[in-house]
Amino acid sequence: MLKKIILALTCITAMAFADGVGNVNLTKVIKVDRNLSPLAKKCIECHAEKTPGIVADWKSSRHAHASVSCMDCHAVPADSPMAIQKEHPKDSGNHVSILVSPKTCSKCHAKEVEEFQQSGHARGGVQMFAKKGMLELMYHYEGRDHPDLKDSPAATGCVQCHGLEIKLDKAGYPIPGKGWPNYGIGNAYPDGSVGSCKSCHSSHTFDIVEARKPSACASCHLGPDHPNIEIFNNSMHGKIFNTEGNKWKWDSAPDTWDVPDFRAPTCATCHMSGVNDLNTTHNVSVRLKWNLWAPHSKQRTGGFETAAFDYAKDGKLTAGNVLAGNPAGPEAARAEMKQVCKSCHSTKSTDSFFISGDMHVELYNNYHSEAKAMLDDLKAKGLLKADEWSDEFQRIYYHLWHHEGRRMRMGALMGGPDYAHWHGVFEVQQDIRKLKDIYDARIKSGKIE
Amino acid sequence: MRKTKLFTIAIFIIGGIVGLVFALGIAQFMYVTGDDKFCVACHIMEPMRDAYKNDIHGGNNKVGFKAECVSCHLPHDNIVKYTYQKAVNGVVEGAIMLFGHPEKFDWEARRKESKRYVYDSGCMHCHGDVKNVIADNMKAFLAHRDYFAKNIDKTCVECHEHVGHKNLGFHLRDKFGDLNTTK
Repeated sequence: MLKKIILALTCITAMAFADGVGNVNLTKVIKVDRNLSPLAKKCIECHAEKTPGIVADWKSSRHAHASVSCMDCHAVPADSPMAIQKEHPKDSGNHVSILVSPKTCSKCHAKEVEEFQQSGHARGGVQMFAKKGMLELMYHYEGRDHPDLKDSPAATGCVQCHGLEIKLDKAGYPIPGKGWPNYGIGNAYPDGSVGSCKSCHSSHTFDIVEARKPSACASCHLGPDHPNIEIFNNSMHGKIFNTEGNKWKWDSAPDTWDVPDFRAPTCATCHMSGVNDLNTTHNVSVRLKWNLWAPHSKQRTGGFETAAFDYAKDGKLTAGNVLAGNPAGPEAARAEMKQVCKSCHSTKSTDSFFISGDMHVELYNNYHSEAKAMLDDLKAKGLLKADEWSDEFQRIYYHLWHHEGRRMRMGALMGGPDYAHWHGVFEVQQDIRKLKDIYDARIKSGKIE
Repeated sequence: MRKTKLFTIAIFIIGGIVGLVFALGIAQFMYVTGDDKFCVACHIMEPMRDAYKNDIHGGNNKVGFKAECVSCHLPHDNIVKYTYQKAVNGVVEGAIMLFGHPEKFDWEARRKESKRYVYDSGCMHCHGDVKNVIADNMKAFLAHRDYFAKNIDKTCVECHEHVGHKNLGFHLRDKFGDLNTTK
């Protein structure tokens, strides 16, 4: 009896796992026509007159080559939260969105979008609007709480690189004056997705060559607070790129772009490319050991970035995961970065470079601990002004970490000596002396000067 | 002896006939309970049905070809899983209709969980062609390369969000009002 039961069970189990047993509904396999639809052709014909630049861009793009048309990115269902309410073109029954979100791009580039959303880039927009201090700076201190003009500092500045939460008016267009249009990397869209592919692959060519050049990053990573392009130009890598980059091969397929296509790395090479045994990634945080941007540099032990996923889930604006990096930890991140170096440099010189770099980061932390201790003490004793931007101590403290301290750390780890030193540690050394003077005076007098 | 042999043969023949009738009965039952007419027996499904009728998958296409509800909403990897899921859905959804308040559900929120109740094996049953790497299919294949290479962990409806039910948002709003729909 037992044997029979076992046999019966075996038969049933075998049936359950037999692939294709019982063709449940006998349908023919359907093939979808992938050519340009009549409506897509209509878009192109009309827009070639109305906005010839856009059509010209698209015409020369890989998208055009693969028959990815206006419709594939801009057409949305009428009930989509992204849709413009009026039909477009008129009486076609078709709806479009003026916005194209990462969710749209992910229909074909899902892996890239997922990796992007796991990176620090993804929190760029939402974190600004989740922090009280940032909101105060943009709208109160800079915008002067002016009833009509308070949006302009964010709209023309911050949001252009960071992005914002894009809201639509009743007609389905982004509300003007808040910071749209922009090329901000962390836009949060009405469809719940976060990011902006066109920050690096500008529309409507979406070119891989463009994104591989330092200029793609330089439009945001510049200036006193994170002079990454200046540091790159200061470095030997930048010197070589500036000398002969115009002769390099820029359009190799992803994961195959490696030496000798180039003789020195660009931003993308180190932070994203499939050099050596590494896989190409759109997670720019995954090869980073430290968070060099923070007031006090910590190792990136937080795993993946969370801001985009939180926003997708319930529309919440969060500060994100400030320790986002490599899920296998900061040392794994460093090991990945070293793989890039080793395409051209020996293990010995690679290791030595990072020993010096890490030392400079820890030296900065040493300065910062002292500054922070003074700041905390003054705060506890009520010796700080409420308006931090009119308080000399707080102003210097801000410049110490946000400007000079970042230059010191980033200069060291990106091989830019002028920034590691003159724009970096030299200034930090001056700052700490100024802070000490103010601190001593306030403690002695018990008053803010 | 002869009697027993005859009896055995009779058993087989009668058994075969009974089995056939049962099998056809079950097949007919599966067929009848697989389309929108049956599913809308529960009126809560009306907006889904209306949106489906307007969609390419619901027959709104050049040839009138359509996928049935179960073509997408039941797994198609094999008949045991198919039958099991059908039975579970029948019992659970029946119970919700009888004892629950599905008219108070946040249906828009449920739409976001579509990967729970739309099965890739159903999609692939008809759209298996996207998997073929042949010259005249490259455009379709390229967009799905990461899916088949398992470079991404996504189901069909996570990218093809609005598939199957055209403008379902409007139909849901018409039936349930704004109260039950999130933005």
